[in-house]
Amino acid sequence: MTGFDFSNYNRNAALHAKGVPLPKATSTGTTIVGCIFDNGVVIAADTRATSGPIVADKNCEKLHYISPKIWCAGAGTAADTEFTTALISSNVELHSLSTGRDPRVITCMTMLKQHLFRYQGHIGAYLVVAGVDPTGTGLYTVHAHGSTDKLPYVTMGSGSLAAMSVFESTWKANLNREEAVELCAEAIKAGIFNDLGSGSNVDVCVIEKDKPTQLLRNYIKPNERGEKERNYRFPRGTTAYLNQKVISKEDMRKYVTVEEVSGDPNLMEVDS
Amino acid sequence: MVGHGASGMLGEDGIHVDMNHLKSGEVNMAINFKDGVILGADSRTTTGAYIANRVTDKLTQVHDTIWCCRSGSAADTQAVADIVSYHLNMYSITNNEAPSTQVAASLFQELCYENKDMLSAGIIIAGYDPRHGGQVYSIPLGGSLHKQPYSIGGSGSTYIYGYCDANWKENMTEEEGINFVRGALREAIKWDGSSGGVIRLVVLTAKGAQRHLYLPDTDYTGPGFTN
Amino acid sequence: MMSFMGHQPQSQAVGYTFSQPTNAPNKEHSFYPYTDNGGSTLGITGADFAILAGDTRSVAGYNINSRYAPKVFKIGGDDDTGEGAHIILSVVGFAADGQALKERLDAVVKMYKYQHGKPMSVRACAQRLSTILYQKRFFPYYVHAILAGLDEEGKGALYSYDPVGSYEREQCRAAGSAASLIMPFLDNQVNFKNQYIPSSGDGHALEPKKPEPLPRETVEQLVRDAFTSAVERHIEVGDGLQMMVITQNGIEEIYTPLKKD
Repeated sequence: MTGFDFSNYNRNAALHAKGVPLPKATSTGTTIVGCIFDNGVVIAADTRATSGPIVADKNCEKLHYISPKIWCAGAGTAADTEFTTALISSNVELHSLSTGRDPRVITCMTMLKQHLFRYQGHIGAYLVVAGVDPTGTGLYTVHAHGSTDKLPYVTMGSGSLAAMSVFESTWKANLNREEAVELCAEAIKAGIFNDLGSGSNVDVCVIEKDKPTQLLRNYIKPNERGEKERNYRFPRGTTAYLNQKVISKEDMRKYVTVEEVSGDPNLMEVDS
Repeated sequence: MVGHGASGMLGEDGIHVDMNHLKSGEVNMAINFKDGVILGADSRTTTGAYIANRVTDKLTQVHDTIWCCRSGSAADTQAVADIVSYHLNMYSITNNEAPSTQVAASLFQELCYENKDMLSAGIIIAGYDPRHGGQVYSIPLGGSLHKQPYSIGGSGSTYIYGYCDANWKENMTEEEGINFVRGALREAIKWDGSSGGVIRLVVLTAKGAQRHLYLPDTDYTGPGFTN
Repeated sequence: MMSFMGHQPQSQAVGYTFSQPTNAPNKEHSFYPYTDNGGSTLGITGADFAILAGDTRSVAGYNINSRYAPKVFKIGGDDDTGEGAHIILSVVGFAADGQALKERLDAVVKMYKYQHGKPMSVRACAQRLSTILYQKRFFPYYVHAILAGLDEEGKGALYSYDPVGSYEREQCRAAGSAASLIMPFLDNQVNFKNQYIPSSGDGHALEPKKPEPLPRETVEQLVRDAFTSAVERHIEVGDGLQMMVITQNGIEEIYTPLKKD
């Protein structure tokens, strides 16, 4: 549980004091949103990950699984959102196993906020938590410092202002599923086009009462790359080399060991 | 992203200066009246110039008829209120008796005083218990505890010291009390840029807790109580 | 060249710094006169033409100021139409300085024509631009400029500058925020760097592919491919591509839309 290793802390602090810059973490300078509708909740995200001004990943996944009916959208430091949601997902499952009940959104939100508050904002995870549970529909935002908000529609990340402008101008009460998905997608698109930290595609996750959760990966792809005008295949032999060594298929046997596996390999998965 | 100094930092004045921190509770207050206490607050939470939540509920229940107004860092005050809420629950179970407002206030003070270097929290505690009736306590930044007939807090409160001083009366009726709190908060919202949104009130009497809501669309005249 | 922007040495000798104010613990509140408006430009020359191109996005932080803010300008032509110009200039970096620099150079080229009764040569204009930049050595124009035209022999001419006036005539140059993405591509595709003629020799005897002036069509394709690729990986590049092709027949301007995310 307490998995952080601080053994390089002093060295890094000394290095930093001497002017060595800190390593750049891939941040998902992001647009993420969530919106409640009559029969559940929908969350959505863009798919751009950046490292400074460079696009690190053009189609990353920012919607994280917590439990079958609780999902999380993450903004901030990519690694922090990934590991924090994975940790809480694990604890939520253990908790649900020990209580014999379906996990609740508020339980997950409380675990997240207590974890993040303990680390005083050093874990840079900004999350939208959404889901349905026996008590109803839940939608929360959790900030890196550990504060939470409960609202019918939420936005986070660098594109949150662009996305919120869509919600504040077009949201109405008692939306149905289609309207909510459309509204969220529209809000993400506002982030994609108006915020440089956000871009590429729209991912959507719909969580409904008495229905399986739907992850609509790349629900909209408004930024597909066009054809390149020239062909950049080099003729064989273009790259210079000083010497070469050809390894034949027979020689390969010297480097690998082949072992026969006994029994049915499918039995390796001990599940359910 | 992993920025040193990007998080909370103690300045020379000992006050956190962090734009990335969510600040809530730009104006809030609690008063004593004839039958109990009234808590009131605006609903604005800000991150720098951005309103992160325009309908925040800063009036937080920590026991049946003990509530608090949170101001300062949203993360800190929520954490403190959650811990106090937990202890008061334990208290009422182990003692088979509801805690007094003073017990709640002391718990808040303990946390705020012992962790003063890590917290930016200004909290007003107000509660009703059958033995002492209504009581109002305030805990400002350093963690001191003050029992007061009424208390105001948050950045917007500076605008309404005059209003409160001029209009305050001991033993007001419920209607007078509500008008006093609502009138004061309306002024604070009018003059303070970082206060705004709706006005939320909680009236705590022997009958229990009752919530009120006043919207800006009608210049904070309605709709009134909501439960 | 380009040494000025590259490194900020820990110089105690000079009494000023161009580094941004840091955010803690002793916060310094001072006016910082420069902004990086992002974007990229690039220029390539051919046997009888020169191309300057730039994206049309202007940014500030994570915000887009404009989706159409040109970075390539005609110099010395008519104020409204640009007609009669025979020199083009691209500026990238701080947009306000870029604008000011373009206005200065435009005025200079016009004055030259009025005073001497003949158009300014590209070579002379290039030297004059260097002087203008160096005049502000201690409060520089925060821009990477590229100047293009046709030389006395009618060949494509391209000059690239650092912010304080160091300049050089080149075959091709990329500047701006995505320069580090585009320049290696240009080295490989225009000057054929790291390309060898297959089976032309063994080991060190392998013959490098000889660069030669490219036809206009090929250059235009390379420019568009360079920018559509830069858009994919750099957040400050996008919205539109403005290309100016200068030939004996004059200046042709071509606009191509780019991705807007």
